[in-house]
Amino acid sequence: MFEGLILLGQGLAHFMTLGSLFNVAWATLLGVVVGILPGLTATMGVALLVTLTYKMAPDQAILTLMCVYLGAIYGGSRTAILLNIPGTPANAAATLDGHPLAQQGRAGLAMGLATTSSTLGTMVGIFFLAVIAPLLADAALKFGSYEFFWLALFGVVISGQMTGSDSPLKGYIAGILGLLVAMIGMETLHAYQRFTFGVTALGGGIDLIPAMVGAFGLAEILSAMKRRAITHIASVDDRVVPTFREIFQYWRTILRSGIIGTFVGIIPGVGEDVGSWTSYAAAKRASKHPEEFGKGSQEGLIAAETGDNAVVSAAMIPTLTLGLPGSAAAAVLIAAMLIHGIRPGPMLMVENAPFLYQVVAMLLLATLANLIFGLTLTKVFIQVLRVPRERLMAVVYVLCVVGSFSISQRMFDVYVMLIFGVVGFILREMKYPMAPLVLGIVLGDLLDLNLRRGLALTSGDPSPFFTRPISAVIALIILATILMSIPAVSRRVRALRFRRQTA
Amino acid sequence: MEAEDTQQGIRSRADLLTAIVLVALGIAVVYLSWIMPRLEARRISPGTFPGLVPLLLGLALTVCGSLLGFKAARDRQPGGWSGLLGLLGTRAALRIGAIMALALFYTLVLVGWLPFWAASMIFIFAFIMLFEVYLTDSPAPLLRTAVWAAVIAVVAGGGIYLAFARIFLVRLP
Repeated sequence: MFEGLILLGQGLAHFMTLGSLFNVAWATLLGVVVGILPGLTATMGVALLVTLTYKMAPDQAILTLMCVYLGAIYGGSRTAILLNIPGTPANAAATLDGHPLAQQGRAGLAMGLATTSSTLGTMVGIFFLAVIAPLLADAALKFGSYEFFWLALFGVVISGQMTGSDSPLKGYIAGILGLLVAMIGMETLHAYQRFTFGVTALGGGIDLIPAMVGAFGLAEILSAMKRRAITHIASVDDRVVPTFREIFQYWRTILRSGIIGTFVGIIPGVGEDVGSWTSYAAAKRASKHPEEFGKGSQEGLIAAETGDNAVVSAAMIPTLTLGLPGSAAAAVLIAAMLIHGIRPGPMLMVENAPFLYQVVAMLLLATLANLIFGLTLTKVFIQVLRVPRERLMAVVYVLCVVGSFSISQRMFDVYVMLIFGVVGFILREMKYPMAPLVLGIVLGDLLDLNLRRGLALTSGDPSPFFTRPISAVIALIILATILMSIPAVSRRVRALRFRRQTA
Repeated sequence: MEAEDTQQGIRSRADLLTAIVLVALGIAVVYLSWIMPRLEARRISPGTFPGLVPLLLGLALTVCGSLLGFKAARDRQPGGWSGLLGLLGTRAALRIGAIMALALFYTLVLVGWLPFWAASMIFIFAFIMLFEVYLTDSPAPLLRTAVWAAVIAVVAGGGIYLAFARIFLVRLP
């Protein structure tokens, strides 16, 4: 406990330099701008910014990316409130009450509430990150190939199940496609080249960054430019800074949403949007005034914004301790960490324990910067909203080319970005979620290596995958998740539960 | 309600087409994985051969693709195929086609043929002009847009070059 506090203090002290604080300021501001601009998501912002951090020291690079991530998730709430368009998918729930508040002439208050609840949500997530991560990392040290195989599969399955808006089947398909992409190139157990078809550049596999820049950059450009956006920005005439009472009369909602966001963040590949919607639904169920939800409820806005920001911090728990990305943006952060020689996973606490607390410190600094900018720069942010997409997206595409080229300085990665952009756009249009696809690319190697390594250890006998206690539990959860996504099974389970309740 | 049904019909037909592609891909992956060497000469356990996981994934994709196709085929909303074909002739499709053409021309031709900053400036200028003057329902005045587009192209193209190549020392294409 005290050791953790000391490490956290050291983490904070580590960043109390002029250079670090400068990086916090510009990166958070850039993140907020990315979040405000509709069509630019947090994942896209982080993926594009990785390029800028190549020459930075590892701690400064991750600090910069973390600030962009948190800033973007927060910035999206501005667009949700003033334009009724979520700046990032994470802020969709915030439109329900944020925009009605703006229409009632309380846009300033809505932005103030969103800013403060974002900060509080991040704080709850940070608390759980600092408490749970070391324990989970310790437990994960006992995991073998069998458990890691199931964890990787669990990540893809649960992400497919929870993000497949049309049907879980599309989520699963996206996950399988991601895993198949990860199969391209030289496999690590016997050094055999799979699916390379004689193309030398495919030997090293598909890099995550160009794929992400395509799926979240070019695909976003195509989605945003499909039709001309006509925007009506609500005016801000009232005060922005909320009173203590306006916030803390909803302390139960804040705490509940923070905990829900944390739980969602811990689940691999389930992002901020799910955290936000789940918190919003729970707040509506528990509220004394559920009829106000959707009509400008302050409680609803607070729940949505606390929930999504708690996910950001909590997503770092599986990311750092298991190497399983807690969200799509966290997947990019894993790639960035690997580029900078930081290996997330159970060994992180053994090899580089201070880093975990440095991440906590990064999140604290980023959220404080968000709070300061959010309450003081309202007028500037409204100007950002006026930038036409036609002018912005051309520049974003140039950044996509730079971002995908710079990692290995080869045009092949730019072509990868183009292919992933077009395929990603088509999949999105057909309601296939992107998170399981990304998770599949990240976890494919882990899944492949651990399944075959496990089988090699037992000379082909698969029984330890089902008989070791932790393996068996994860396998059962996966089986239950898949079964529950079959409509006939879930209907029957629900009917059984209903019958038991009425009996 | 009718519009919703048509949308659902289009979605189902699109799902059916995707399902066919996915099943074909799944079967191809299964075949390619099956013929991967078993590496017996290296005395490895047969359960660890390189094609094992792709084989399982190919099977999973075939099953999921079949389920998707089965579900889509059962949905018989009217106007699905004609609606799907009609999407290709919309303004949205034209805008997407234009972006793709511009992006491909910039990436495959301009970059590498011209210095990166110059290629980027041309791309940004062309992009803004196309979408603010031509492919829009409410075109902006040509001259004013051209001036704005030129200013943004120079500032953004030059700015990206300076920031990445000079300040952050990143190699550009």
